[in-house]
Order: sequence, then structure tokens, then C-alpha cells
Amino acid sequence: MRYKSSTICCVVVFIIFCLFLPSQVLTKEDSGPSSAPAPEKLILGQAVMCERIEAFLPENMAIVFSVKVEKIFCFTSFDSVPEEIFISHKWFFKDKLVTKRKLTLKPPKWSTFSGIQLREADKGLWRVEITGPAGNVFKTLRFSVTD
Amino acid sequence: MMNKFWLFFLSIRWQDIVDILLNSYILFRLYVLFRGTNALRVFIGIAFLLFFQRIAFLIGLTLTSWAIQGITGVAALIIVVIFRNEIRSVFQTKNFKTVFWGTPQKTVSTPVEIIADSVYEMAQKHIGALIVFPGKEDLKELVQSGLPWQGLISKEMLTSIFWHDNPVHDGAIIIQDDRVTQVGVILPLSQQKNLPSSFGTRHRAAVGMAENSDALVIVVSEEKGNVVVAYGSKIIEVKQKKALERRIQKHIGVRISKKNDSGKERFSLGIAALVCVLFVTWVWFTITRGLDTMTSFEVPVEYMNRNPEMEIVDTSINKARLHLSGPDILIKSIRPEQVRVKLDMSNAVAGPNTFAFNAENITLPPGIVLKKIEPSVVDVTLDMIITKEVPIQVDWAGKLNKSLILTNIKLDANRIQLTGSRLALENISTLYTEKVFLDQIDKSGLITVKLLIDSSLKIAQGFQDTVTVTYTVKEREQKSVK
Repeated sequence: MRYKSSTICCVVVFIIFCLFLPSQVLTKEDSGPSSAPAPEKLILGQAVMCERIEAFLPENMAIVFSVKVEKIFCFTSFDSVPEEIFISHKWFFKDKLVTKRKLTLKPPKWSTFSGIQLREADKGLWRVEITGPAGNVFKTLRFSVTD
Repeated sequence: MMNKFWLFFLSIRWQDIVDILLNSYILFRLYVLFRGTNALRVFIGIAFLLFFQRIAFLIGLTLTSWAIQGITGVAALIIVVIFRNEIRSVFQTKNFKTVFWGTPQKTVSTPVEIIADSVYEMAQKHIGALIVFPGKEDLKELVQSGLPWQGLISKEMLTSIFWHDNPVHDGAIIIQDDRVTQVGVILPLSQQKNLPSSFGTRHRAAVGMAENSDALVIVVSEEKGNVVVAYGSKIIEVKQKKALERRIQKHIGVRISKKNDSGKERFSLGIAALVCVLFVTWVWFTITRGLDTMTSFEVPVEYMNRNPEMEIVDTSINKARLHLSGPDILIKSIRPEQVRVKLDMSNAVAGPNTFAFNAENITLPPGIVLKKIEPSVVDVTLDMIITKEVPIQVDWAGKLNKSLILTNIKLDANRIQLTGSRLALENISTLYTEKVFLDQIDKSGLITVKLLIDSSLKIAQGFQDTVTVTYTVKEREQKSVK
């Protein structure tokens, strides 16, 4: 009887061993890649043109600005910044690059802006390209400066 | 030299050949109809005047040329007036077919032998006679007091007319065809003072008639019993009956059945036809080819056989100036569609190309020669045709109400595909709309505006040349008003 019960115990242990060993190996394989930390992406949350920046927030967001406003801003907010990185705000007037502002982003999220002073001669068609460190364009903001 | 001759030969058009042949035939027919008349002699005189006028013009005698031209013009008018009867009789007596074809011929034969027999019988008997054979001229205005007769010719009748006791024996008779048409006719007397003293009134009348017309007049002398023939300015005594017969036959235009004479007639007509062709050719040549004129035309350049995948981006010229020379008459008749400048672009490559114009590029009407083309080369820039997608941006203008702020816009199509040359599309990163004025905007709404597309570009299929803009405006917060 003792022999029987020890035999049964051994068989049960063996069966349990057999059932669990492969599943543990597979789990290890599956969880291999997911166990490494995924690199966070740089995600642009908001990009707008505005007349003012108040408390790090854009005010009077618009797509047409009077030249009398004197100053306009391009505000960008990144929801996810994996590491300290540089982005650019490229200001184009009538398809011609007027100025390029290099701005720093810091993890985990960051807001930044650039602005220009408006003069009478700046009336016309504008666009600002928000580009990443590799020159990839996140977004293009199009607006006009009028009377 | 040979090349020039060949070029000239090639420049002759079929119209020129028809022109020459038609006028030659008209001239030849006029000769056939008028030959033997005084009018023809004067026409020939005018032709010579015309010839000298052209010569004078070609060698630069302007005044002489002008004077001869004037004389010729006036002479032509005078001739028509003076020879109106002769001209009229030529066209009246011939039927329509005769004017254009065939040679004038007497249809009714005059009994020449009977007349000649009668003449010599009367001469033998010393019976005076005066017989008129009209030519082509109308004699109505020259003769007087004739009595209509219309008698068929016979030896007895002719002798009886001129018999001493006949009341009309002193006058002349007029013979037409086979009839004596008038008797007792009074002819104009010659005013010549050098006529032989033996010539009496009958001879003087014969000479006067011959001088003033193309009639043949036979005189039988009552005193001498001889036979004299007056024709034109000639007065000939005819002693043989056969000689008289030949002279009458020749005058009245009866074809002599002799083979040699028929050949001679054909030969003379052939010579006349040749002279007519040569004369008209010469006139045609002096008028149409004698004096070359220079002119210049501005002609659009046609760019042909271009690779359909490429587009002409730029050309140094759109029109070329052609300096042409040729006969004045041909230069004046040039139509714009006859002059073309075509440039073969089949060997053109993408980028700048330079082509030199040559004779193969120019199409000209026959007889016109290209002297120069300006400019001699043309620069053509070709480019590949591509399609590019660009964003659309609204071009706002004017002044938005101070209390409003345009916060957002939405386009029904944010991007558009354009087709055009690579160079033209290379510099285009945005396509703008026409100006949209803000002055009228007081609330949110939508507007459809046209896109500003360069004429060298086309919108790709499936895209429109307008865009609908939905815009949102809101009241500006008081504190933000500057």
C-alpha cells in the first residue's frame, strides 16, 4: 500500500512536472520581449498659433492675425517626451524660411513656444513647421497676417 | 547657275502654266480673227510699244517707261474707237464657235472664174468696170449712193451692168459671196498726187477705196482695156486671168485646194501660235518674275513631335522673322497659313536644348525664297511632366472686425494634386486660394473660393479648382483686445 501511495505520489509529481515545465519555458519566451522597457515616443499634444502666452498657456488662438497685434506665437505642447531633445519651429513667410527657432524639450512632458514681432511688411501668408531632431515634420500650422 | 535655273523651274506653279496657255490662246484667236485687217497691224504696233515699255522699265528708264505706258493706254482706246466697225464686223460675221475655234472660212464660194472671165472679156471690149470685194471691214461709211441688187453672179449680168447705156455703169459694184449686192456705188477718191496721169476717175476711186479699207478693187480701163487691182497701198496691173483668180481667192479667204498652200497655211498658223506663246510667256515673266521684292514676315514657331512625357518649359522665342524674296505679285499674294516655321523636337532631351533653323523647318509657297531667318537659333527647355500633391492654404485679406477672432477653418479638401513640369512644380510647396476678404465676416460660415493655379500647371483628375472653407469666428475676450 505504501509502495502504491509513493508510486502514485511520484506519478503525480511527474505529471505535474511534465505539465508545468514546458509552459514555464514558453512563458519565458513570450515574455522575453515584453519584459524589456518599451522606448517612449515623442508625442505632440497641442500646436497652435496664438496672440499671447499666459501662464504657459496659449491665449487668443487664431488663424488670422492683425498686424496690429505686434507679436504672435507658436505654442507646442508635447504629451510624452522620452528624453531631453531639441525640436524646431520653422517660420515661413510666402514659402520662404524667415526664421528657425531651436527649442528644448525635457521629459516627461514639456510645453514650449516661439514668437515673432510683426511689422507692416509681414502681411501675407505664413506657416510654421514643427520639426523633430531628424527633420521630421510633426505638424504645419498655416495662418495669415492681415490689416 | 544650274541650281538657280532648277529652282526657278521648280517654282513654276500649275496656275502659271494655265495662265500662260490661256492668254496665249486668247492672243492667238485674236490674231486668227483679225489677220488681214488694219486693226491687227495696229495691234501689233501696240504690242511692240508694250515690249519697249517693259524693256525701258527693266533697264531703269522710268520716264520713258511711263510715257510709253501712257501712249499705249491711249492708243488702245483710240484703236477701239477708230476700228469699231472692223472689230464689230469681225465679231458679227463669225458665229460663236468661230470666235473660239477654227479658222474663218467663206461658206459660200464666190464664182471667181466667172468674175475673172467677165473682167477680161470687158477689158477686151473696152468696157470700163469697177468691182469691189469687201474685206473684213464694214464699208457702209465709205461708200455712197449704192443701189441694192442682190443678183447672182453671171458673166452676162456683169457685162450688162457695165454696158455703156446702163444708168449705173459709171458706179462700182460690190460683190459679196456669190452675189452682186450693190450697183452704182460711189467710192471715195484718192487724194494722192503721184498717181500715173493715165489713171482716170475710176482708177482714183479704186485707189481711194483700197487706201481707206481692206477691200480689193478691180478696175477695167475703158481706154486701155487693161485690168488693175488695188489693194491696200498697192496698185498692180494683172495681165493673166489665172493671176487675177488667185488674187481674188486669196482676198476672199477661199481655201485653195492645193496641198502645198494648205500646209503653208498651217505652218503660218503654227508660227503665229508659237509667237503668241513666246510673247505671253515673256509678258508673264516680266510681270511676275521680272522684279524680285523683299519682304519680312513674323511667323509663330511651331514646336512639333515633342515627347508626350515632356513639356516645353521655356523658349527663347515664340515668333521668328523671315526675310523672303520673290516676284512682287507672289509676295503680295502670300497668305499667313502658307508660311510656317516648324521645329522638330523629336531629338530634344529634358533640360535646355538649342536648335538651329534650316530650310527643312520653313514652309513657303512656290516661287518664294528664304533669304534670312531671325534669330537663326532657338533655345528650348523641356522638362518631364510629373504629378505633385500640395497642401491648400486660404489667402485671407482685409481687416476682421476688432471684436472678432477667427479661430478655426476647415477645408473640404486639404490637399490637391497638380500635374506639370518638374521644374514648375519643384518650387511649389503650397497652393493658395484667391484672396478671401475678412471685412464682410461677422459670424461663422462657409465660402467657396477658387484656387490660384499657374497656367503651366493642370489639376489632376478627381480634384477641383475650388475649395469650400468652413470658418469659425468668436467674440474676442475683452481683456485680450489690444
